[in-house]
Amino acid sequence: MRALRRAVVAVVLGALFGVALRLRGGTQPPTEVGGWRELRGDELR
Amino acid sequence: MTGSGVNGSGVTGPAASERRGVRVTVVGAGIVGVRAARELLGAGPDGRPTTAGVTLVSRRPDRLEELARTSTNEVTFLSAETGEPDLDADVVLVARESSAQVAVAERALRSGAHVVCTGDDPDDVRALLGLDAVARAVGRTIVVGAAMSPGLTCLLARHGAALFDVVEEIHVARQGAGGPGCARQRRRALRGTGTEWRDGEFVRRAGFSGRELCWFPDPIGGRDAYLADLAEPELLAAAFPGLRRASSRLAATRRDRFLVPFPMLIGPPVEGAPGAVRVELRGRRDGRRVDVVYGVLDRPSVAAAATAAVVSLHLGGGGALPAGAMGLASVDDPLPLLRELARRGVRAATFEGASGGAADPPGSAPSAGNLSEGVQDRG
Repeated sequence: MRALRRAVVAVVLGALFGVALRLRGGTQPPTEVGGWRELRGDELR
Repeated sequence: MTGSGVNGSGVTGPAASERRGVRVTVVGAGIVGVRAARELLGAGPDGRPTTAGVTLVSRRPDRLEELARTSTNEVTFLSAETGEPDLDADVVLVARESSAQVAVAERALRSGAHVVCTGDDPDDVRALLGLDAVARAVGRTIVVGAAMSPGLTCLLARHGAALFDVVEEIHVARQGAGGPGCARQRRRALRGTGTEWRDGEFVRRAGFSGRELCWFPDPIGGRDAYLADLAEPELLAAAFPGLRRASSRLAATRRDRFLVPFPMLIGPPVEGAPGAVRVELRGRRDGRRVDVVYGVLDRPSVAAAATAAVVSLHLGGGGALPAGAMGLASVDDPLPLLRELARRGVRAATFEGASGGAADPPGSAPSAGNLSEGVQDRG
């Protein structure tokens, strides 16, 4: 019973930590500087 | 495609004999095979038909019946339900699942046709490259891995290599899958062992390792991509003798990571969502280190079918490819193929800028919105 209680507490703490990270934007990927330009004209000649 | 019927052995449409050009047989009537047939029936740059008719072979009679109801009489349907029919064609485009391609390719070569294969499983690609001696003996070409990835990625790698004095590294990444067969193969690749080419030897790495944030053309953007059991390192290493590193990654999510070890309980969708490929070349030019990135945004089945069809027409039209087995990275001049793909709507883009860290500065280069519009138009 004690082990089960510990497991539940661990899961709850983990979930809270995950939510905190999510809200803080900790998993936000870095953005790219620049952009994509279609190949055309001389580049395909 | 509308019109001609199907019987046990197939029906030839009356208009097929009236067209002049290459005779192409497409083996496999999945989403890539049917789209490739449609591409083959399209007009060339001069507005004239490019083929003398297309034959579509399938082992599924119900699929042929369904296609016959909506197809033109320019397509001949042949059933392979009870045995493989004769492959009487100038070019045979093999669009069956990867594991079934080697036998068809060998038979097609021995019948005197050029062969274009769309398979992407590394073992099958290796077996197809092993048909080199057969192809040379009959004086025909077998193009291996002529799809979106490998295929279009290999063409872009060859195109980009012209910008370098020395190409040292090529890294490929892919997001998305075409039809159900492609989705199953993607899952197998993620489960398998990844291969990298490093300093003259293949290094085996665990699947789902080597995570890297890869930027694809908008609207897909940044995705985590992982090493997987893919064919590109082998094809690229064969095509670029001095290459130091080559790798290929698949974009995947945390859900993929969790579900990949389990059997696929829900079938993959018939048509995949828009996908993308990215090819990054690193090397030297004028003594300086240079980095070039190319990308393509399209539905993977559309891009794969267009690539296979354009290569088939190139081969059938006397395009300068040597006899033997080769990947598209070994093509001397990729420009005619890339130009024709662009004309058909499969347009490549180049990345201008740098990935990582900062937010977009004001006035940064425009994203490839026209590419995504193109995908939606052809949906």
